[in-house]
Amino acid sequence: MVRTYALEAEGLGKAYRVYSRPIRRVAEAVTFGRYRGHHEFWALKALDLRLKRGTSLGLCGANGAGKSTLLKVLSGTTAPTTGRYRIDGSVASLLELGAGFHMDFTGRANILLNGVMMGFAKRDLEKKIPEIIEFAELGPYIDEPVRTYSSGMGLRLAFSIAAAVDPDVLIIDEVFAVGDMYFQKKCIDRIYEFKRRNKTIVFCSHSLYDLRQFCDQALWLERGNPQALGESVFVTNEYASFQRQHIGVAEEMIRERHPLAPAATTRPRTELPSIRDARICRMGTAEEVYQINTGDSIDIRVWWQNPAGEELDIQLGIGFQRGDLTLCAGVATHLSGVKLTGRSGCTILRVPSLQLLTGQFLVPVVMLDGEGVHRYHEFLMPENLTVRNYTKEVGLMRLEHEWLQSDAPVPAHQRPPVKPAP
Amino acid sequence: MSTDPQSTLLESAPAPAPSGSTAPAAADDGAGWVSARPPRLAEIARRLFSFPRMLRDNWDLVSTSVRRDLAARFQGTVLGVAWPFLQPLLLFGVYYFIFTQLLQQRMPGLAEDQKAGMGVYMFVGMVAWSALGETLGRGTGVIVDNGNLIKKLAFPSELLPLNVVLSTLTMMLCGMTVFVLAACVSPLWKAPTAALLWLPVILLLQAFFTYGLVLFTSTLQVFLRDTQQIIGMAVTVWMFLTPVFWAPEAMKAESVAVHLPLITSNPTYHLLRAWRGALMGDVYVPPSEYVSGGYAASVAAIPHHLGVFALWALGVYVLGYAFFVLSQRRFADEV
Repeated sequence: MVRTYALEAEGLGKAYRVYSRPIRRVAEAVTFGRYRGHHEFWALKALDLRLKRGTSLGLCGANGAGKSTLLKVLSGTTAPTTGRYRIDGSVASLLELGAGFHMDFTGRANILLNGVMMGFAKRDLEKKIPEIIEFAELGPYIDEPVRTYSSGMGLRLAFSIAAAVDPDVLIIDEVFAVGDMYFQKKCIDRIYEFKRRNKTIVFCSHSLYDLRQFCDQALWLERGNPQALGESVFVTNEYASFQRQHIGVAEEMIRERHPLAPAATTRPRTELPSIRDARICRMGTAEEVYQINTGDSIDIRVWWQNPAGEELDIQLGIGFQRGDLTLCAGVATHLSGVKLTGRSGCTILRVPSLQLLTGQFLVPVVMLDGEGVHRYHEFLMPENLTVRNYTKEVGLMRLEHEWLQSDAPVPAHQRPPVKPAP
Repeated sequence: MSTDPQSTLLESAPAPAPSGSTAPAAADDGAGWVSARPPRLAEIARRLFSFPRMLRDNWDLVSTSVRRDLAARFQGTVLGVAWPFLQPLLLFGVYYFIFTQLLQQRMPGLAEDQKAGMGVYMFVGMVAWSALGETLGRGTGVIVDNGNLIKKLAFPSELLPLNVVLSTLTMMLCGMTVFVLAACVSPLWKAPTAALLWLPVILLLQAFFTYGLVLFTSTLQVFLRDTQQIIGMAVTVWMFLTPVFWAPEAMKAESVAVHLPLITSNPTYHLLRAWRGALMGDVYVPPSEYVSGGYAASVAAIPHHLGVFALWALGVYVLGYAFFVLSQRRFADEV
């Protein structure tokens, strides 16, 4: 029987028992629970979820919102406290890359060890070993002990093993940050390919861009409570606007709930520079516009605040990123020698003629430190930028160009040598 | 919380379509639901009996892990795989030299060709016992120590204690092989007989017995970290209560009579008797005014001892496994 849903959950909840001292657990055990020595910490509450085959679901929410708990429950490493769930077909979960690596063995031996841990049959695995080794690109290091690897190399090997798994449902906990940029791209391509083959994916990420790009559906969790579930663009927008409005409120609540968190010693996040809002407008007007034609003139208005004022140098960066995360263009104030002064302001990036060709573009706005290295804040535009182009040019951007005719029809090096006059 | 605008957001989000024929209320556990309900008795029984099937399905994992465990012990050593044979060989040499040559300690009245009796008796007992003691010592912490695996990977965690059992049994088998070879080529002891054919049965029963024990202790260790300390002491006490270094036949008749119920109610007493019968053949100690006498090792008594030990093994395995299955779903939260 083929079920409609690849994944169903009803009233799913998870509470962890917290014992203040070990003797309480013993007391609870010997009285068969009549003495209650623990208090419960609810990491996830009353989640209803249905995912059709081939859907990808992204989880967003702050740290400790219950994202990882949900992934753990769904991957079967921990049992739910309330409710139930079922998954149709085979499941593979990547909760942590490299769990179960044995440091003294070579990379090649660890492929086998880690693979059978993930439920591979040894025979299938031996056939896949060349493919895994090729994907990891560790070169001669594959026959060295894993102990000698850098952490990035270990992660590459781990992802390569996991990527060879071919389940019906894939559960991933933030594995986009694997290795260098080159390898990250490879990982994303591999997961995209998985999605194209109509497999179901559940994953969590702090990158709202990834979530939007990747997922049809998204779920926003807040301290264990499901806040919004639905189309990924809708949910990420809700989450992003909540983040903007409620950063101060949320911090108050966290401090209230966890009085141990040192409130006085750390500088509250509201004092760090941040982006209040950003909009794309028609040039010189306040009219917001997100569907434009190639060659249109736009202003990108960015409202920012820097409570520390002169003490803290800040820079703004704005990028145009195509759907597959290729950065098509990027500009930044420090690259143009512009200084942002004052405690707050509205800076406008004017693009008199946008030369991008047809496509959907993410427009990330980033608040950087004085050197342009650390990112204080990444802002998500309320909508993606859609560009239309009515000529037949191809590629990413329109190139400024002209066609000319030369009066020398033969390339210089192919001309017959001219004998010098005696 | 219901007045919070955010929680109403969830209702306004596109609701999942009702599933129609597969109404959730009608779905029973046969439909693949995973819930919070603790395992029922029938499920525990099913898991107990489907153990061989689980083992077959996960054989690749078991064999790879056991091999890894054995390889890890000798990884980086010069002599490598010679070590599991060298250690018992040295042990055997020491026992023979000290007890037979130096202390001239013998069971009284042994036949002339059995004068190495006490050394051999202790060696066989020690090798068989150390497999059990080592499994308990190393296996009790195995679930807690592999907490990261339990939390991050979904795999049958009952295989973790099994790896320890199988790898220590393999080491023990190396020791027993050393003895059999030594008995065949040297005049110290008579060559083994057809009683060796009991070995597979003894090994299987010992595997089930130790597996049940270590399932219990490793589960207990998850909830009570004092277990490892307690087990360390208990193993030492248990070793001295078991005839590893002494034989009831070489004790005074009165003290044997007083303590006989205590001695024979110990499951490892029966295990070691079976081992010695199978490896040493018959060793008869004639009774005198100093010793009670009788067979210190006997081929004919193997079925009796194995029968008693089999009951113990079954009971310990069933209880240990049941305790493990009942507690298993809480492991990831506790380690």
